[in-house]
Amino acid sequence: MLKVDHLSIEIGGKQIVDKSSFFVPRGKITSIIGESGSGKSMTVSALLGILPPGAKATGKAVFNGKNLIAVSDKEMGEIRKAHLFTIFQDAANSFNSSVKMRHQLYEFSGRRTGDSSQQFQMKMKAILDELGLSAEIVEQYPFELSGGMLQRCMIACALYVEPDLLIADEPTSALDMVLQQEFIGLLKRLNEKQGTTILLITHDLDIVAEAAHEMIVMRQGEVVETGNVMTVFERPEHPYTRRLLESRF
Amino acid sequence: MRPQKALTFWCAVLGIIVILTACASFLSSYGPNDMNLDEVYVSPGEDHLLGTDHLGRDVFSRLLEGGKVTLTVASVSVLLSLVIGILYGGISGYVGGAVDTVMMRFLEALITIPSLIIILAFQAFMQGGMWSMALIIGITGWLVTARIVRSEFIRLKDAEFVKMATMFGTPIWKILFGHMLRNSVPAIFIVTLFNFAGAIFIEVSLSFLGIGVPPAIPSWGNMLYYAQNDILIGAWWIGLFPGVMIFVTILAINFIGEALKNPERRRLDA
Repeated sequence: MLKVDHLSIEIGGKQIVDKSSFFVPRGKITSIIGESGSGKSMTVSALLGILPPGAKATGKAVFNGKNLIAVSDKEMGEIRKAHLFTIFQDAANSFNSSVKMRHQLYEFSGRRTGDSSQQFQMKMKAILDELGLSAEIVEQYPFELSGGMLQRCMIACALYVEPDLLIADEPTSALDMVLQQEFIGLLKRLNEKQGTTILLITHDLDIVAEAAHEMIVMRQGEVVETGNVMTVFERPEHPYTRRLLESRF
Repeated sequence: MRPQKALTFWCAVLGIIVILTACASFLSSYGPNDMNLDEVYVSPGEDHLLGTDHLGRDVFSRLLEGGKVTLTVASVSVLLSLVIGILYGGISGYVGGAVDTVMMRFLEALITIPSLIIILAFQAFMQGGMWSMALIIGITGWLVTARIVRSEFIRLKDAEFVKMATMFGTPIWKILFGHMLRNSVPAIFIVTLFNFAGAIFIEVSLSFLGIGVPPAIPSWGNMLYYAQNDILIGAWWIGLFPGVMIFVTILAINFIGEALKNPERRRLDA
């Protein structure tokens, strides 16, 4: 599905990510885990083509036969529109606080798939219902909803769009434990029900253990270990992974 | 007074002033320039509600008509400065980099020159009428708006929802207007309100100095200018009422601005 090969990212001569290679298999939940500043989010930015100005990525990241690092902006736009969906850390900031949810949900889902406003309303209502959100939230403003609800709205859009690859960048770090669990459950359901491939960025081992099939361990810009979650948990090879596993509660 | 009540009160005051001046021609029984040399310096009373001036013109009619002129000049100039400020600040904030640096240094250079001097220079060769007056105040009054818009745009450019929108291929004009400008509205609104008060003040000051609106057109500033001599002979009403109107109007606008600036209200405005 997504094959990253010798991806390096440089900002002002400083190496942020160093020749990292990994593979995200289709239909699985793959998790990138690592401490803060290990280059997880930068890797994602490079994949999405949204690196901050001054940053430069080299290497290859082949997604559906296209190298994401080398494609033109226009092509990247097409890929992002049709095949990718992203969920960011802080759902509260992912929505424009002065626009009603209906318009924003439509912008994130219906407009991308080319549905009319009516089709969107029908379909979104069913999805919201399924996620335990009342249909009234579409008439509300984002600041009237809680962080957990907003994150669920994001999932609702992902369910609607049915992307090939869902990239979730620390989606749970702003949520409390109960909501985290609920959210991870939703991700798993998305994966099982629609077969969506998910790339889950996190620093929380429990989430990896709970949700992911495959895992990639990053440290200081380098991929130190990759493999099946079960295998890595049982027989960690790299000393850092071992330390990480030992530090679990 | 509680903030909410204060806001309502001052909005009502400003509203009454605006309505009174807008309906000037219906409310006054004399034309603002109708002279009657048999009735000069009549003190406030039944026939002339607020008295007459040295040419026997009705002060009440002139006060309303003058308010219309003053408020129109202020509104037009504020609209003009709003447009220039949003464009200048928006471009500077959104484009960023070298463009931003150059634009901001230029703006800082302009800010160091007191706007009154620029206005005086302009007035000197434009031989100011009412509209040129509005134009001049407008093109000197956008500096603060531009700064506010720039800082809002810089803040919002990095907001996650803007990144999301960019990523999902939202058209750029939609991001600029729907996301960035829309979320800057509370800040822009407040600075524009204060600009409005400032514009009234500048119009009044210039007319008071005799270099603003031409004498044939009544404005609050003009009225004060002519009232200078009248006060010496004891005709206090000619100067007092325009003065009070100016005072109350600017006070109302400032209080409304202060009430809206209150951070607790921010979300409601958004």
